[in-house]
Amino acid sequence: MYGFHRRLLWVELSSGTASWHELTEARLRAFLGGIGLGTSLLYDCAPPAVDPFAPANPLILASAPLVDTGVTTTAKFAVVTTSPLTGFIADSLSSSLFALALKRTGCDAVIITGAAATPVYLFLTEDRVELREAAHLWGKSAQETAAAIQQEWANAEVRVAAIGQAGENRVRFATLSNEGRHAGRGGIGAVMGAKNLKAVAVSGQRRVQVADPDGVEAFATVLRRKSLGPLTAKYREIGTVANVAVFNRLGVLPTHNFQQSTCEAAEALSGEHLLTTRFSRVHGCASCTIRCERLFRALTGEEQRLEYETLFALGPLCGIADPEVVVRAAHLCDRYGLDTISTGGTIAWAMECAEKGIWPAARTQGIRFGSAEALLSLIPAIATRTGLGALLAEGSRRAAAQLGDEAQRWAMHVKGMELPGYEPRSLKTLALGLAVSARGACHNRSGAYEVDFSGQVDRLRAEPGRGALVAAAEDFAAVLDSLIVCKFLRKCFDNFFEQAADLLGAVTGWSYSAEELRRVGERINTLKKLYNIRRGWQPHDDWLPPRLLSEPLPTGVAQGTRLTATELRGMIQGYYTARGWDAQGFVPEQKRQELGIGNEESLSGVANIWHTRVSVGG
Amino acid sequence: MFPTMNDVLLPSSSCLSPLPRRGEKQNASAIILAGGKSSRMGRPKALLPFDGEPLIVHLVRRLSPLFADIVVVAAPDQELPAVPATVVHDTVAYQGPVGGLYYGLQAARTERCFVTACDAPFLNLPLIAYLLEQITDCDVVVPFWQERLQPLHAVYRRWVVALLQEQLVRQELRPVALYTKVRTREVSPEEIRRFDPEGLSFRTMNTPEEYAAALALWRARRVVCTVELFGVARLKAKVASVPLTLPPGATLRDAFAALAEQIPDLVGSVVTADRQGLTAGYACNVNGTLFTCDPTTPLHSGDSVLILSNDAGG
Repeated sequence: MYGFHRRLLWVELSSGTASWHELTEARLRAFLGGIGLGTSLLYDCAPPAVDPFAPANPLILASAPLVDTGVTTTAKFAVVTTSPLTGFIADSLSSSLFALALKRTGCDAVIITGAAATPVYLFLTEDRVELREAAHLWGKSAQETAAAIQQEWANAEVRVAAIGQAGENRVRFATLSNEGRHAGRGGIGAVMGAKNLKAVAVSGQRRVQVADPDGVEAFATVLRRKSLGPLTAKYREIGTVANVAVFNRLGVLPTHNFQQSTCEAAEALSGEHLLTTRFSRVHGCASCTIRCERLFRALTGEEQRLEYETLFALGPLCGIADPEVVVRAAHLCDRYGLDTISTGGTIAWAMECAEKGIWPAARTQGIRFGSAEALLSLIPAIATRTGLGALLAEGSRRAAAQLGDEAQRWAMHVKGMELPGYEPRSLKTLALGLAVSARGACHNRSGAYEVDFSGQVDRLRAEPGRGALVAAAEDFAAVLDSLIVCKFLRKCFDNFFEQAADLLGAVTGWSYSAEELRRVGERINTLKKLYNIRRGWQPHDDWLPPRLLSEPLPTGVAQGTRLTATELRGMIQGYYTARGWDAQGFVPEQKRQELGIGNEESLSGVANIWHTRVSVGG
Repeated sequence: MFPTMNDVLLPSSSCLSPLPRRGEKQNASAIILAGGKSSRMGRPKALLPFDGEPLIVHLVRRLSPLFADIVVVAAPDQELPAVPATVVHDTVAYQGPVGGLYYGLQAARTERCFVTACDAPFLNLPLIAYLLEQITDCDVVVPFWQERLQPLHAVYRRWVVALLQEQLVRQELRPVALYTKVRTREVSPEEIRRFDPEGLSFRTMNTPEEYAAALALWRARRVVCTVELFGVARLKAKVASVPLTLPPGATLRDAFAALAEQIPDLVGSVVTADRQGLTAGYACNVNGTLFTCDPTTPLHSGDSVLILSNDAGG
């Protein structure tokens, strides 16, 4: 079979067993790989009401058909599980050499269930599945863990994705990290910590074949060339940190826990400024021609990758104006394995509660906007669940629930996930995208902000017609995330669905139409919704924090702009209509049948188990 | 005395190219009649200093963003500064506008030709683009303003040159004589006001007093705005903002062209090679609120033109 190995490895940590399963062509055609395949597997093998920290919550690593084909930006993998932050689906992506090695082990996905009695790591090659003792790695950062495992195997080609202390301590927004990159959102690291699983180490040489090597190479050549042109100039020449200055100018830079949408320190924190004052080097993922990563250096010597979301969350959102503090805070987050968006969002909430006197203990300890000491001390406290960090490790929603109603007014989350660095009141399409996103406040699963920035709509106005735009953006993103192609390459396609269908055909040998591929996107997003419904989703979960629906923007070009509950409700209705869901947002049976999903079959019932082998040792 | 008409193309649907989108450089010619006597002005109008350059240079520069082809018609021995245009000289001098129009159309390389006089500095490109759009089903598009037709701010199909030749033979030196012989579309004052509420497009300068008044008006109506650069554009330009002084009625196109002139390093990478717009990786926003790359978007003094990446991903 081309493009896939058609094999799934299921590792059961409690019993120390593993089994190989055949992945059916029907499943792969319907969901591709990455986020789509992971969602499909999660839906089929997760117990309906499973606690995210329970052994039965599956943790799924999924590869994808374009991985290891030589097409630029495709060295990526997905991690899917039930989120301890939201209680709903968590789907994250990471990238680089781990992604290539994972696929070269000869499997398209790994499902990990159960929990080990003591810390272990999973070692996986083409012909070997081992659970290895990891007590000596407990407490180490992901980077240190990777180095130790490579040393253990005396093989620098072993690729490692690991959790830091935050994951070990079940911080609900802990990440899984590999090569300085993170499956960042939703608390995947905490799920691993709950399983006593410190890391997954992979090494493999089994390359998958493609159906039409010349055809794939032709696509690869065109995309490589385009990836070096003006369409990706921002990512190649500055990186995502370029967003800070322009977002501030456009009044969409969340500041002081979304109390403002402009920041006086924006120029000092801007990518343009950092590039000329603190730049260290450029880095890129494996198989990527864009190389978007920019590393900066703190005065204390730490070299740290910065992205826009990190810069916004640990800078303006917390009132931090000093780039030195942001670089050091980001370094701490990476070291402990914390999602920087949720870390910044939760600390910003704490700062506001402290300033408002809602959380006296925090106020007493000097937690306030702009305090470098507060930020830099709270990050380790969260990762180790000590002091104030014990509460903040729960994320802003749970922490606020413990402090009471007033505190909940200032918790800036959707479904429990802290908001990313785009101001919803002045980006109305994005506002809808955040409200309805299956994984919570996520800017990556729809990219709806792009509609607002396009000039296609008036970004300051809310209209029901935005629903169709958000649904289309979500479906587009789902296909990108399931092929997998980096979103930074998305504009290099002239007609994405047609070209992606042809490329997928060249890889797999399957005939796809653009419409079929678009339908794959719809199927994936609908199945995510069905998963959430099974987890207890209710219409009130598709909503935005009260601040966004009550306070006008006080500063910037969008000063005075509001988003009302009526406007949001209208846009959400438009979204449900565009999706073919009912007025409450539930998925009608007819839609399920139309998409061929949600039949509640167990994985074991549809897959062929042909091999079982695992060893526990180390 | 007059050249033969062997080279004149007659109109046919097959030779008409589709109309471009508004704001793009048009597959059309601009003809500037510069060969007048300037007797009341007392010196050649084409050489009058205007906005820091000879008037004829100014007009060619202003029209170049819109036209792929520009023709300047001069008197037989008239000397002009170097301009990026085709310069033709009347064979027979001072036959009025019909003569200039005739020589200009003959030299034009496209089917649709906008004609203007060299003493009308307040060109309004969106209005001119609109006039060009109107010629689809006719041969002449002529504005009607202040109770009279404006033949020297009008669009002609190149083929009418044959009829103009006949007029010259008959010494019918008024262009309006042509209009009864061809399909003529009059553009109403209401249509004109949508682009040029005061009709400045038709304001000419025949005396030193009118010249002085025009200069004063020009200075008063100049658009003083700022281009703010973000991301890669800022890195390439090595500055965060660029102040611009643009002509009255300026649009984004003028801003792009002026920016390119001030910072040539942006040409090709951020501003398109023809200086008409932005390359594929960039977007434009006016005053932080309006996202648009339509080059015909009008600008006003105090405006900020933001140039940013067209990809807001982070």
